[in-house]
Amino acid sequence: MINQDFIRQSSGLDSGKANSRSLWRFIHTDPPLLAGIMLLCGFGLLVLYSASNRDLAVVQRQALTMVVGLVVMFVIAQFNVHFFRSWAPTLYAACLGLLGVVLLIGVEANGARSWLDLPGLPSFQPSELMKFVVPLLMAWYLASRPLPPSFKHIFFSAIMILVPAALIIIQNDTGTAIMVAMSGIFVVLLAGISWRYVIGGFFALLLASPAWYLFLAQEHQKNRILTFFNPYRDPTGAGYNIIQSQIAIGSGGLYGKGYEQGAQSQLDFIPESNTDFILAVLGEEFGLLGVLFLIGLYLFVLARGGYIAFTAKDMFSRLLAGSITLTFFFYVFVNMAMVSGLLPVIGLPLPLISRGGTSIVTLFIGFGLLMSIHTHARSSVI
Amino acid sequence: MTGKWQLKDHEAERQLFNRRLVVASVFVMTLFAALIFKIFNLQVVQYDYFSARSDGNRLHSQYVPPARGLIFDREGQLLADNQPIFNLSLIREQVDDLDAMLNYLSGLIGITADEIEQFKTRSRRNRVPFSSVPLRYVLSEADRSQIAVKSHRLSGIVIEPQFVRQYPLANLTAHSVGYVSEINREELDNMSETDRENYGGTNHIGKSGIERTYEEVLHGKVGYEIVEKNNRGKVMRVLDRTDPIAGKNIGLYLDARLQQAAEKALGDSRGAVVAIDPATGGILAMLSKPGFDPNLFVTGISSKDYRGLVQDKINTPLFDRTTNPYPPGSTVKPFLGLAGLELELVDYNFAIEDPGYFRLPGVSYRWGDYTLRTAIGGGHGHTDLQKAIFQSCDTFFYDLGNRMGIDAMHEFMALFGFGANFALDVGYARTGVLPSRDWKMATRGEPWYPGDTVNSSIGQGYMWATPLQLATAASIMANKGRVVQPRLLREIDGQPYNPVIENPIPDVVVKDPDFWRYIQEAMTMVVHRPFSTTAFRDYGTAYEAIAMADRGMPYKMAGKSGSAQVVGISQAVLKSDDIVVSDLNKDHGLFISFAPAMNSDIPPRIAVAVVVENGEHGSSVAGPIAKEIIDTYLLEILKLDFTPKTLSPSESLISQSND
Repeated sequence: MINQDFIRQSSGLDSGKANSRSLWRFIHTDPPLLAGIMLLCGFGLLVLYSASNRDLAVVQRQALTMVVGLVVMFVIAQFNVHFFRSWAPTLYAACLGLLGVVLLIGVEANGARSWLDLPGLPSFQPSELMKFVVPLLMAWYLASRPLPPSFKHIFFSAIMILVPAALIIIQNDTGTAIMVAMSGIFVVLLAGISWRYVIGGFFALLLASPAWYLFLAQEHQKNRILTFFNPYRDPTGAGYNIIQSQIAIGSGGLYGKGYEQGAQSQLDFIPESNTDFILAVLGEEFGLLGVLFLIGLYLFVLARGGYIAFTAKDMFSRLLAGSITLTFFFYVFVNMAMVSGLLPVIGLPLPLISRGGTSIVTLFIGFGLLMSIHTHARSSVI
Repeated sequence: MTGKWQLKDHEAERQLFNRRLVVASVFVMTLFAALIFKIFNLQVVQYDYFSARSDGNRLHSQYVPPARGLIFDREGQLLADNQPIFNLSLIREQVDDLDAMLNYLSGLIGITADEIEQFKTRSRRNRVPFSSVPLRYVLSEADRSQIAVKSHRLSGIVIEPQFVRQYPLANLTAHSVGYVSEINREELDNMSETDRENYGGTNHIGKSGIERTYEEVLHGKVGYEIVEKNNRGKVMRVLDRTDPIAGKNIGLYLDARLQQAAEKALGDSRGAVVAIDPATGGILAMLSKPGFDPNLFVTGISSKDYRGLVQDKINTPLFDRTTNPYPPGSTVKPFLGLAGLELELVDYNFAIEDPGYFRLPGVSYRWGDYTLRTAIGGGHGHTDLQKAIFQSCDTFFYDLGNRMGIDAMHEFMALFGFGANFALDVGYARTGVLPSRDWKMATRGEPWYPGDTVNSSIGQGYMWATPLQLATAASIMANKGRVVQPRLLREIDGQPYNPVIENPIPDVVVKDPDFWRYIQEAMTMVVHRPFSTTAFRDYGTAYEAIAMADRGMPYKMAGKSGSAQVVGISQAVLKSDDIVVSDLNKDHGLFISFAPAMNSDIPPRIAVAVVVENGEHGSSVAGPIAKEIIDTYLLEILKLDFTPKTLSPSESLISQSND
């Protein structure tokens, strides 16, 4: 391993291919990952143009957000990931503090009181930051402990995951809370937690869910669950979105109706066709082949993420890269499953395809960390 | 710290992590497989189902109503037009809370409780789901902009362009042309399946007059459209279309100028005018006064306006006086006179010495002469049939009728259309009453008495005839027995309309055609026989009011006046305070006529019947009205030239007496 690193660093002696590789390495960018991301972004802009009824302004704003994301990714990639490792506890504490501040002076938007509007800064959601700060902290915490983690470490991990998740739930943003919790849980899973705990936890959740449904779930959450099991209980109300998006996807068939030819999409039958339900537009206009192409692109990015995790030089990097990759998958899967009727509706965008702002930048922060892991020399600090 | 480091086995941990990575990969692939399975199921297995659902979402079949045929008068003037308007309609399925929406619209553009009531009635009609129901016809520019501004709050509310009927002459054609109004539940229920389909896109249907009679011709055939709509019901594209076939335009015999003249001539009176072209039977004028504005009914009359029309028990504007019967009075005398000649009960030399009353043998009751009620007394003296007609001598006809008997009278009068509807396309006209023994037994359960015959012989008693029937009889008289059945429809889409009449009414044939001349001459004398300095009561009853009033009259006109006793006034009318009841007890004035009469060059071109309610005198009130209409038609519309060429013997006879 040390030898490998040595060869990589003395790239000047290598072939031309190695030369270009070293140039990418020099700017801390992973070409395959970048290519996958760019293809997804391009495809996303194409679909968005049709989904927004050819609204060029929407597409331009989305492209600009993506450029901002790329810049953020590039900047993050320049730092050795161990720099973030050393700051992980501080970042976590700061973010917890911000979540606390949000509880006090947060601004409400779309039903969630999760925005912070500090003077001199653009308004942002501290909960978004948690999406990568939690796995960062978990990787920091577990990487330096013997693996598989002992019960004690799992217990402390659970606390570190659940505290921010709980704070976000209080902000009435269950979707983000789940994502934050999952990004932390993935680290624990990858760290080799005993299957007994995993199975035990799974059954505990299963048993707790009726209690949650009866005592904790809010009306709209109950509605979503009921609608999931039978969309036709309220076809023009709660079930409308899922019915119409299923009609759109189903009527797309194998080859789709053609770009900008989706009747469901173009005639406004699909609500939120720019954001959470954009897969319905894609499915209608590009058919099963389009959906498979998209899944192919995602798989490529996921595979590259997995490869980065696999080749990472230390446990911290492995755990972090693995968690980021799985979280990305989780986003993709949950959105696609909810739009096609495999899961209840949870308000989550389709990564890099749905119209968005902060959430896109958060994704790029994750990609930046992956690139940093893959392109920096082994840290002197192990 | 160091202890922990010693405990950490990096290679074992790496192996553990890699195993977990493999598990994660399997997990990812499994979930993606499930997802692909689900989407494959939607897009390939259930493709047909969802494809149909998608088409059902966007594709809508809708009716395209045909344009209703226009109605023109004799000279091509529009009597019924189609006018483009915008109406405010509501798609029930797209409005969540109907009451809240109506409430909101009340605030926004002042939708009234009345309109809401009408809307709810319309909503109860059979209709295609997702079709719109009009809430307000004729949306003003201001209302339209209000709606446009608030459109985001008004889902399910649409503004639709539409054509609605417009009647430019308004009350002049209210009864004859009639009007269209909204189809009601009952009409829909009575339609055949095909018709209901044909009316799928139509809101209106002919309710009265020509609009109703020729509904089938005017309506046309519905078209269809397959359109693509977005989720707010807005039509984005028309994908397929079967054009509707517009209703046919029709031309009537009716003359707008003559309607105008009739309305003007009637003045403030209640009454009716019917004018017929004796050559064709074409109805030239048909006016009932007072009329009403039929345009009110097209877009839904407000209940206040409707109450106003219905509750006017005196003027009864909705009541069509042209097709409802009155006692014909003395206007029947020319026809009875002709019957007398035909049945050889009288001849040209026959005369009575009129004492001023009539008595049935063995009965002490005296039938007085109504026409002499105000005179000094006595009778008409020596009276032959012509004098009996131009002086309207009741006694003569009491005697004649009595000798004729009710059976012969009924048979002969029926030839002129009394008691029947000769009109081809005025099916709604009443038939009046031409009494007979059977009729009286059937309706009253009483036998016929000789006194009933005496009353009938001056057009009173049980006899009832509509102005349309009187004009018809007059035109048969003008035609010397040739029957022309009255009709309104002259042409369809520019093509003359000559229907095959299945059971044509036979012409009136008399033993000696000179009888016609004799009676027509007598009727001409009614108007033109001047006062005599020597003979007693020897002038025409209408001479003073018509021929003397207009000495320059270039043509001769035949006529007969009549007055009808007002039988009874309804209690409702008697109770109202604001009218002079004595006026309502006055006789109705009637006049029948045709012109030009006794003219060897020009046959009669117009036959007219006029009724003036409570006009008291036929000759002086109804007569001049008939003359004005005839003047308008002959002199202004036809512009006939009456410069005498040669003097016919019959004309010279009247001119001599004129001197």
